[in-house]
Amino acid sequence: MALDQIFITRKFGPNAEQEMILNMGPQHPSTHGVLNFIVHADGEVMEKAVPEVGYLHRSLEKIGEMVSYAGFMPYSDRVDYLAAMFANEGWALAVEKLLGLEVPPRGQYLRAISCELNRIASHLIALGSTAMDIGAVTPFPYALRERESINDLIEALCGARLTYNYHRIGGVAYDVPPDWTPLCRAWLDHFEKVLDEFDRLISTNEIFLKRLAGLAVIPAAMAIDYGLSGPNLRASGVDFDLRKAHPYGAYPDFQFKAPIGRAYAGLSRGGKVGDCYDRYYCRVLECRESATIVRQALDKLPDGDFINPKAPKKAKPPAGETQSRVESVRGEMAYYVVSDGSERAYRLRVRTGSFTAMGIIEEVSKGLMIADLVALIASLDVVAPEIDR
Amino acid sequence: MPVSQYLANIKDTVQSAWEGMTVTFSYLFRRPMTVQYAGPEKAREKHELVQDTLPSRYRGFLEVDLAICTACNACERACPINVIAIEIEKDPANPKLRVMTRFDIDEGKCMFCGLCVEPCPTGSIQHTREFEGTQRTLSNMVLRFVDPAKPAPPYKVAKGATAFPRAVLGSITRPLVKAWDSPPPPLPIESAEEAMAHAAKKAH
Ligand code: SF4
Ligand code: SF4
Repeated sequence: MALDQIFITRKFGPNAEQEMILNMGPQHPSTHGVLNFIVHADGEVMEKAVPEVGYLHRSLEKIGEMVSYAGFMPYSDRVDYLAAMFANEGWALAVEKLLGLEVPPRGQYLRAISCELNRIASHLIALGSTAMDIGAVTPFPYALRERESINDLIEALCGARLTYNYHRIGGVAYDVPPDWTPLCRAWLDHFEKVLDEFDRLISTNEIFLKRLAGLAVIPAAMAIDYGLSGPNLRASGVDFDLRKAHPYGAYPDFQFKAPIGRAYAGLSRGGKVGDCYDRYYCRVLECRESATIVRQALDKLPDGDFINPKAPKKAKPPAGETQSRVESVRGEMAYYVVSDGSERAYRLRVRTGSFTAMGIIEEVSKGLMIADLVALIASLDVVAPEIDR
Repeated sequence: MPVSQYLANIKDTVQSAWEGMTVTFSYLFRRPMTVQYAGPEKAREKHELVQDTLPSRYRGFLEVDLAICTACNACERACPINVIAIEIEKDPANPKLRVMTRFDIDEGKCMFCGLCVEPCPTGSIQHTREFEGTQRTLSNMVLRFVDPAKPAPPYKVAKGATAFPRAVLGSITRPLVKAWDSPPPPLPIESAEEAMAHAAKKAH
């Protein structure tokens, strides 16, 4: 909303007397990055909160049209810095589709392993920061503590802790280092215990439950209307997971569940399907599922090449267009690429889950308290760079 | 709300808070995840270097071993943001040969993605585990591997060779990383008069 519009609402709007307009962000500690919300409130109760996006725009899509296909891979890390593996994978899948290139099974398994580890890492941040935004500070450092171990594992695997740049067109960049698999297994054993502990620490905490139960309910129909995806959609009770609905990579080989919202907070506490607690708890359950996927992938890890030896040094796909979709941490991440036969993409478009999640905030925030907005943002797990790209 | 419900709520709250406290308490006896960063150079001598605790694939500052660089430009072409600058000229002493007069890597611009390392035929360009390069001026971040006074001849790959005698990783880059407060290198043109003279010379 432009500034002059704010001015007009203040002066001549229908509720000129009662309406208060607050700016929340862009440097607010609990808006998860550089986000701005223009809150229209009557006292403590919001009429609506209008998200303003664009503070982190880095024109990644335009950059994608300037650099070579392989050269965009490190940029795709920056689409979503908490879940760089998925952006890597999406980009690699799109270019492979254009080139008609196969990924060898070992490469696919390594992709699945790295992605699911990354999913756990990202969910841990989401869980910890949800608790912290509500006011429970302790779970956050504990969640980060576990994430640190994943960072160590991924660092040993690909050499970086945040911007992984691990996937390549036709496979992955490196094979697993020696001694890595037992370390990973040991950590998974440890992690499952930690999750139980995490549940005791915060997920079953009565205050936390009551705070989030029945808050900012997103019914299934509304979630579909607004194009929510990923855990946010599943928490509303819609059973849609790209890894199951349109399997890609190695996912058809694994047994796992896609947890959906079931009013986990308990009906007696006022829990409803699609409330903030469901979105929170679906992530906890997803962490467990991801751990089982990593375990299965490590068990079945096939031998062979981790990158297709026929992968071209300089990708020059034939003219055409394609789309790739991956189930990222924050929902569906899709790449749309148009090739004109040169070594650069003619057009590149990234669809991310956080952007659609931002769209629903204005609708859901109607009638919420200002303090609940923080819980809503945290439970939707939006990440600012992914919104603006 | 009936009194029994009220009391039950209090009981639940206290109980779950107690549960959380027991978890928190147990963390007092766990090994901390944080590691002591071994401070500046002096204090660090006693400890292991931080660099050496990192995994071998760590992507830190780049390093080129000119002794085995074939001057093939593959790394320069692979970099998406033109961090690497290589200049190859004819050797003035022997015009049939070529020499590298410049091999610069701007670590201030590099995003440590590793794309340049992959196409190198001899493994000459590698990531080291060096990461401390705080500088007062950005131009100090440029690592110059070739001394302009001593141009480097390209390496000739022996037929069928698979292993190359590479210097120990880090031994070349480590001395090149400047002290954080070292003065910036001189600008190519130093004063306004010189700039004028330069422009006048160009106009002629
Ligand atoms: S690491 Fe990446 S950014 Fe740095 S020089 Fe190599 S290719 Fe360029
Ligand atoms: S460092 Fe490697 S890739 Fe770069 S010019 Fe030398 S031999 Fe070629």
